[in-house]
Amino acid sequence: MMKTPISARWGILILLAFFGLLIAASTVLAVRISREVSLVKEYDSFMDDLQIIAGVVSDYLDKNDPNSFEFIEVAARIQENEENFSYVLRDTSGIVLAPSFASGKPLKMKNVRMLRDDGTAFMADIWGARCFIVRYAFPDRPLELVGIYDDQYVFSDLRHTVRMFIGIISAVFLVLLAAAWFWIIPALERVLFRKRQAESELQIAYDLQQKAVTKVFPDDNRCQVHAVLQPARLVGGDIYRCRLVGNKLYFAIGDVSDKGMAAAYVMFMLSSVIQSRAGHGDSLCALMREVNELLLDNAEYEMLCTVFLGIIDLDTLEMEYCNAGHTKTILNGSFLDQDPQLVAGVVKEYPYHTQKLRLSPGSRLLLYTDGVTEARDEARAFFGENRLLDWMRAQDPADSCEKTCNELRDTLVAFRGKAEQNDDIAIMCIKI
Amino acid sequence: MKTSIQEIDGKTRVTVQGELDTISSAAFQKEITPLMEKEGVNVELNLGALEYISSKALRVIVSFQQAVVANHGSICITEVSDPVREVLDMTGLSKSFLKLS
Repeated sequence: MMKTPISARWGILILLAFFGLLIAASTVLAVRISREVSLVKEYDSFMDDLQIIAGVVSDYLDKNDPNSFEFIEVAARIQENEENFSYVLRDTSGIVLAPSFASGKPLKMKNVRMLRDDGTAFMADIWGARCFIVRYAFPDRPLELVGIYDDQYVFSDLRHTVRMFIGIISAVFLVLLAAAWFWIIPALERVLFRKRQAESELQIAYDLQQKAVTKVFPDDNRCQVHAVLQPARLVGGDIYRCRLVGNKLYFAIGDVSDKGMAAAYVMFMLSSVIQSRAGHGDSLCALMREVNELLLDNAEYEMLCTVFLGIIDLDTLEMEYCNAGHTKTILNGSFLDQDPQLVAGVVKEYPYHTQKLRLSPGSRLLLYTDGVTEARDEARAFFGENRLLDWMRAQDPADSCEKTCNELRDTLVAFRGKAEQNDDIAIMCIKI
Repeated sequence: MKTSIQEIDGKTRVTVQGELDTISSAAFQKEITPLMEKEGVNVELNLGALEYISSKALRVIVSFQQAVVANHGSICITEVSDPVREVLDMTGLSKSFLKLS
């Protein structure tokens, strides 16, 4: 399964290499074609020149005495054994040809190879064409005829290059097609499938988390409760529950030490247990021990869970609570006295104990997860317990629980600024 | 996060520096896995320069301790920074589970 992204990466690498080769080859071909085309254009204009010059020379020779033209050359072109003569006037100085008559441009000759020692026959490259040149000497006039035999037209070479190129492209295309069919497409499909799977898992985890927390809060003349949950991008395992059974208000907040589907599953499990056990009037100790055993029974998930559990008797206002490694609950602007007890999911049969406190009417409790105190600003500074205490003290005791929760959430958003939310945030407020 | 593992006088000194968040704790777990499989290893865990520890990283340390003890070894935390100490105290781990010297 883990091989998939690697083979996809290789596939993409090879794809890129193929495209690189293709682009390089295209560039080479394009440069070559443009060079050949300009060469061909030059060659064509040279041939046009020859036609014009041929006419001019004929007229000149008709009207003037041919004997008076010493040091004049005439060029002719012979195509496929058919004698097709054109003429060009040139200044002769050995085999180097001077500017042609009509265009005034010098005739560029390269790779000259003498066929006769007296220079009357030689091979040379003119305008990219390999030419066979013969000088004819007329017995009665001092004129020389130079024949250009165009046996290797420039296009033949170009045609060869194009054929080669098409061959290479076809081969590369076939290889690409095979790679895509057997390797790249299946690899990409697997990657996409895993990505979709991961996304849908996150969505399910998110849904689970949203379903696991209490939505409808007790709100009557005896007590008022509200809570908010703001999951981070990676779904975490924050949880809260509250339930009013008779005159007893059960409440719980917790944080499972992982993210994703497994955390959501464990959280959902704990949430269900807390919800159902609370309804059966179990003691707080028994409930906390049950949570601990449940986590240890599911040790393969390797999860810890910090939990704060509490019950308030709404007749006597007596609160019984137990904190298993969770953040410190705030009561009216100062931390509640809470014995540190081991986080759940570490030691089997850990002897959790509860504490008791009588609340006064109008008391406010603020429970939260470490996403609150460990929220970070852009300079990576933590929100921290002190800032939270100061914030709580500054709140109007007459505010509703909903307002308190929302304002704390907004305060954290403002504190964070542009920094990313790195953990779930759960806030619960209880007012007696 | 930076981890170093040194063998000194028959003890294995594991030093973690920086921040152990959810993502880096996976890397930390990978580094200590060989120690978790070793028989009778005596680990000295130095958290003196650790600035932050996430709950996931706590779970990794708990697993570390459990595995080492199961293999007849021991873990002792020699140094711990203030913010990490706070977390260890809050979660009850310093009192009931981990051995601090």
